[in-house]
Amino acid sequence: MEKLGLFLCSGCGIGDALDFDAIEEVASENGAKTTVTHECLCAAEGVEALCSAVAEESLDGVLIGACSDRAKVEVFNTLDVGDAGVFRINLREQTVWSHEAGDEDTQMLAEDLVRMGLARLDKMKTLTPLEETIDDTVLVVGGGRAGLEAARVAAGLGHPVVLVEQDGELGGFMRGLTSIFPEEPPYDAPQPNPIAELVAEVEGDDRIRVLTSTTITKITGQPGQLKVTTASGGSEESFTAGAIVQATGATAYDPAKLGHLGFGASPDVITSHQLEAMLRSGSLACPSNGRTPNRVVFIQCAGSRDEEHLRYCSSECCAMTLRQVAELRSAHSEVEAVVVYRDMRTPGQMEHFYLGVQESSGVLMTRGEIDKVDANGKLTVHLKESLLGEAASLDADLVVLATGMVPHSADGEAIRSLIDARDRAENSESSQQRKEAAELAEKLAPHDGTEILNLGYRQGPDLPVLSYGFPDSHFICFPYETRRTGIYAAGALHAPMDMAQAAEDGCGAAMKAVQCIEAAKRGEAVHPRAGDKGYPDFFLQRCTQCKRCTEECPFGTLNEDAKGTPEFNPMRCRRCGICMGACPERIISFHDYSVGQVAAMIKAMEVPEDYEEKPRIVALMCENDAVPALDAAAALGKKWNPWVRVIPIRCLGSTNIIWIAEALSRGIDGVILIGCKYGDDYQCHYVRGSELAHTRLGNVGETLQRLALEPERIKTVELSHDEFDRIPQILDEFASELDELGPNPLKGF
Amino acid sequence: MSENKPLPLLVIGAGIAGITAALEAAEAGAEVVLVEKEHWVGGRVLRSHHYFPKMCPPTCGMEINIRRLERNPRVRVMTATEVTAAERTAGGWSVTLSSAPAWVNQHCTCCGDCTKACETEVEDSFNLGMKKVPAIRLAHVNAWPKRYVFDRKAVGDAEATKIAGACTYGAIDLDAEATTQTLEVGSAVVATGWRPYPLEKLSELGGGVIPDVIANVQLERLVAPSGPTEGKILRPSNGEAPKKVAFVQCAGSRDVNHLPYCSGVCCLASMKQAIYVHEQLPDAEVTVYYIDRRTPGRNEDMLLRVAELEGVTLMKGKVGRIEQANGTLSLRVEDVESGKLLDAEADLVVLATGMVPNAAELDMELLSRKDDDGFVLEDLSSQVAVAGVARRPEDVASSVRDATGAAARALSAAGRRA
Amino acid sequence: MAARAEVRPSAEFRFQVKQRGGSSVGRCYQCATCSSVCELAPAEAPFPRRQMLWAQWGLADRVAGDPGVWLCHQCNDCSVRCPRDARPGDVVQVLRSMAVEHLAFPRFLGRLVGRAGSTWPILLAVPLLFWIGVLLAVNGFAIPSVEPGLSFVQGQFYYDALVPHWLIYAVFFPIAGWVTLAAVVSGSRLWRLMGEGATRRGSFLANVIPAMRDIGTHKRFGDCGEASGRRWGHFWTLWGFVGAAVTSGLLVVYLYGFHMYPLSLVHWVKWLGNISAVILVVGGVMLVTNRLRGELRVGSTGAFDRFFLGVVAAVITTGVLTEVARFVLPPIVASGLYVMHLSVVMTLFVTFPYSKFAHLIYRTLAMVHQRMVDDAPQQ
Repeated sequence: MEKLGLFLCSGCGIGDALDFDAIEEVASENGAKTTVTHECLCAAEGVEALCSAVAEESLDGVLIGACSDRAKVEVFNTLDVGDAGVFRINLREQTVWSHEAGDEDTQMLAEDLVRMGLARLDKMKTLTPLEETIDDTVLVVGGGRAGLEAARVAAGLGHPVVLVEQDGELGGFMRGLTSIFPEEPPYDAPQPNPIAELVAEVEGDDRIRVLTSTTITKITGQPGQLKVTTASGGSEESFTAGAIVQATGATAYDPAKLGHLGFGASPDVITSHQLEAMLRSGSLACPSNGRTPNRVVFIQCAGSRDEEHLRYCSSECCAMTLRQVAELRSAHSEVEAVVVYRDMRTPGQMEHFYLGVQESSGVLMTRGEIDKVDANGKLTVHLKESLLGEAASLDADLVVLATGMVPHSADGEAIRSLIDARDRAENSESSQQRKEAAELAEKLAPHDGTEILNLGYRQGPDLPVLSYGFPDSHFICFPYETRRTGIYAAGALHAPMDMAQAAEDGCGAAMKAVQCIEAAKRGEAVHPRAGDKGYPDFFLQRCTQCKRCTEECPFGTLNEDAKGTPEFNPMRCRRCGICMGACPERIISFHDYSVGQVAAMIKAMEVPEDYEEKPRIVALMCENDAVPALDAAAALGKKWNPWVRVIPIRCLGSTNIIWIAEALSRGIDGVILIGCKYGDDYQCHYVRGSELAHTRLGNVGETLQRLALEPERIKTVELSHDEFDRIPQILDEFASELDELGPNPLKGF
Repeated sequence: MSENKPLPLLVIGAGIAGITAALEAAEAGAEVVLVEKEHWVGGRVLRSHHYFPKMCPPTCGMEINIRRLERNPRVRVMTATEVTAAERTAGGWSVTLSSAPAWVNQHCTCCGDCTKACETEVEDSFNLGMKKVPAIRLAHVNAWPKRYVFDRKAVGDAEATKIAGACTYGAIDLDAEATTQTLEVGSAVVATGWRPYPLEKLSELGGGVIPDVIANVQLERLVAPSGPTEGKILRPSNGEAPKKVAFVQCAGSRDVNHLPYCSGVCCLASMKQAIYVHEQLPDAEVTVYYIDRRTPGRNEDMLLRVAELEGVTLMKGKVGRIEQANGTLSLRVEDVESGKLLDAEADLVVLATGMVPNAAELDMELLSRKDDDGFVLEDLSSQVAVAGVARRPEDVASSVRDATGAAARALSAAGRRA
Repeated sequence: MAARAEVRPSAEFRFQVKQRGGSSVGRCYQCATCSSVCELAPAEAPFPRRQMLWAQWGLADRVAGDPGVWLCHQCNDCSVRCPRDARPGDVVQVLRSMAVEHLAFPRFLGRLVGRAGSTWPILLAVPLLFWIGVLLAVNGFAIPSVEPGLSFVQGQFYYDALVPHWLIYAVFFPIAGWVTLAAVVSGSRLWRLMGEGATRRGSFLANVIPAMRDIGTHKRFGDCGEASGRRWGHFWTLWGFVGAAVTSGLLVVYLYGFHMYPLSLVHWVKWLGNISAVILVVGGVMLVTNRLRGELRVGSTGAFDRFFLGVVAAVITTGVLTEVARFVLPPIVASGLYVMHLSVVMTLFVTFPYSKFAHLIYRTLAMVHQRMVDDAPQQ
């Protein structure tokens, strides 16, 4: 941008606390063509004044010096200023509200913000929007309840659907069920299984193309332009799709591993799925002798909630058993049912079902820890603990194990590292490296051939998984944020859930898939920067094929060509800028956010040479957590050190080391990075941003020492959005730490 | 978009479910009207300190959601507004929206001058009445829309005029009047959410009688930096930190005398709160009295984590009676595992009160299908989808999941082409 | 809790529980609210949560040897507060009837009375037929005739013309003896079973007196929350029976000791008898009105209880009517009432160790047991 204007708001106490004439001078010294002041810039008159000035002076850069850019968004984001770039500096919350009015330091802070803002605008570019041809088709993988619901809803939203199912017929797990647990009031008895109608509806829908006995052999490209290849029998076929719902469901935990519960020792120890088959065929009989059992004992958590087996709770087994008891009793009122549970888990309205089944006579449901199941001649279930307050045993003719669910997923990242390890095992120079690689490959071998989606992505052929193999989102508020844009997990694959939840989940995933396609059509990013039309631009002539960007992108956006040059897929990109932070050559930039733009802001700051009075600190802050926390602190009247210059950034992960070098070489005394918590319970909405920043800075440590600079001059802090009570003291503490270190030796060079 | 300008989607309630439904639909290209009866969006989740199992602040995700709302041209948010009537039409529904008087209008800059001129204090509804605040104020530090709220009724005319005079932006309008308007919508997502089961109905457990017996939702406010104690866990009776904290599960839930259903989240909420207490007061003894430990799915990790904590005990046994006994509280409970009756001591008792669907009290054709407990049943044949706790007791992640799905079902039921 | 119990859940037992009006037991999910709201439950062995579990599993032997079911005064605080509406109060009442049957000596009589729901006609008819038969044999059922010259206070005639005193005693003394034997045998069964696995301290006698005192004053009834109203009804009924028993004893003494018969209406023994009768009526009325306070709060009434209450009511009414009849009604009617009275008294006597009446013994024993356990050092 060349023709910049500064627009100052004197309202909300800004005008009283600052010397606007001095600021105006600074502005013109730093390339502002004009400065307009208004007592309430956000009012209609203020906006009018701003827009007309932009028009008259034909400005292409607008710097707004008023409140936080999180305030009055509805006004300043809809300014009628054409293509002009707009940037806001925070003269209210983070300047006059949090620092002494009329104080020299406060004035310097304001002036620095103006310098920095103008420098930023100066480097901003105008946007050339993305225009791609986008395919409307939603690909649904898996024809169980979640997949069927997803297909139905996506079609209902006017999108063509291709439904791929590996089995010969649709319906998945539910196909085998006699009934389902109640989803409608009064919730006290089983309901007819709706799967047949659902299948019929989907098969009858001309907007949905069903491919059974079909698997996916390859998916390349990006959302809106996915090239899908499927194989059915011998024949292959290809088509394009816009987005994917993966609903490949779950499989029952292998009962062979449940010897301690008698499985294998006697044919009369069966799984709930085997019992379901009996109930379905109407032939309840002990496999050993074909007689109808007198007493059936159900053992809950068979393999679930068990360190040795599945650590998690499979969520649906309690309701499943209740339903089987109800079915069993209605078919064979003479058969006695006993249920041994650890905790009866029937959340929500399912409690009505629990009570309903309890009431049916002859059902004994009791809490207990299973010791073992003996199968010598007759079956005896031994309880370690029971509510009787002692160990107990009971006879059974038939024992039913409520086995848990295992997601039918593939660990994309593990498969990728398996491939890499095998490659290194072949081609590494040192024999030591080859050996280690071989061991790793050995360890990862079980992942071999587990591929489901077969994505042609550099970071692996399938969705990355969270704990226990579920490709779930890590975010409570955003449960569909899997780490591959445009691919959404649904149903029992997504997380342990019951059938009703799976149906819901299918609809939700379909919504996200449709949404991703629509956003691509508008040339916009999806969550979390939904609506952002910007995207990173790669100046590949200067690329050194270091592969940092392709490795560090949390969303698998970048592929590599043979030489290792990144291949950018804008529709996979989430616009976090982590690649920009990773690039040592600084060749990755957004039109409104780049290494150069932030570096320019740091350059523009005034760094007084006489430290004693005026140290300087640069604070790079995550715009989603740290900056709002600082605004909140200001709104609550908290004050902090006026030597700090805050630069909001998209994500700590977009921090490029050059910024630190720039700051320190200019004699700035310290740099603090404040971003989201990382680790297992990370809060970074770009998954690894704050963690990456932390590691990158860890590496700078030695470089600094070579420059005779103390590593303490750089600090990273983890902060949550709600820790506004902490943030002022974090800044003040850092200031005093730097005070102890003394001035930056590079000052004045 | 095959149809020409379809009717908008109406989302009733701007809690986490409603906001999600509105945003997911709008980002898919639909026009959406999001209606909220409070002056700010976010509902119940913003009154929680942290989410389980991640122990992360709800305001973090809300920051993103608000940015999505502010920047999305297709969503219209109407706060301080309620749906007072709804009639079926050929194309969907014709709804009547009634808005409270806008004492404070869009000119408000949140500068705070009016608060300085205000003497009257009122109960802080954001902090569940645990605190007094000026009659004109920002509802809470992250409130959105960023606009002050004015309890006009609480102040006399003279003071009101003084307050209005203090505003230099003409944002306070003492002549404001309630307004109603009708709106044609294609379909609706009901996300009217829940409210906590009243403590007063649990008097046998000291609810509403003993000051140191509080509800789980109140503890959330106690630990929040934006709460009445700025994040300190203190006994209401004497402002001291408790040494023994008891959590009583199923306080009103799973009980035919109160709420026959399981509220679904209280077990995990109490485990989360046990962690709050343990982290803030490491020496405090914490006991959780439960009937069943309901931590489904991967939330089982939460149970294992809490069971590991030093000083935290999980005991099977429903507390029957709580009485005040010389400065502390005495809880009558049978330790089911040992089979002994205890008079356990505690100086702060947290009742894990359940969720009551707000829709139970709403009566209009749009909500005609409800179950006996007042949860709304989906009726896609009349283009009504239901999301979150309006439909069933569930946690935030599940609410967001089915809010996303509900948006899709509502749109497709209306034959909407996204 | 080291010992492994070879638990054999009994569907039959569970069926019986439901049959006798404990069908709500299936709703219980073992939250233990019931135990924690019970004012009478001892801390070391609280009830009724565990009794509900035994009923669900069907562990007859544990119920039989459990003091808890007897210490329970059926206040129904548990039933009122139960979050599942599983009505522990009713279930424990049913368990008591099953315990009585289980402890009974001989067993078949226990079963006969225990299933009074179906056997009550036999239990009432047999004594009646017995008396008619005996009287026919003795004096051809001689209806007494109105004796001229008797003043009104002396009545119109005397019943001994129909039923000679020696006959009454010839019948009732052996029965009393037999009943005492049966009560002692089954009582000691309970005592032994309660003793298993429990440590008692002190002597039986030392503890029986204070236990009696509690019973005499109905102290524990006073602790009841919901059903404290039942205290006085039950109190007066108990003392009414005691009074009646004492009166009958004294009559024997006067007749054979001092050859005094008949006693005049104003004789103090007569007074005692009449006062006892009044007290019985008052108590009975109080109990009945209390029952009208709604089922949940007072517990439902099973056949077992109905039978016992019916017999008691019959004894009281026929007794009072018989006395009145001698002054105002024709001898034939009066005689009929008298014979009826004798036969229901006989039913009450014979079924004493097998009916709800047996709680007189069992609850006393349980309370003595509890005192001795409370005194014993806890390990």
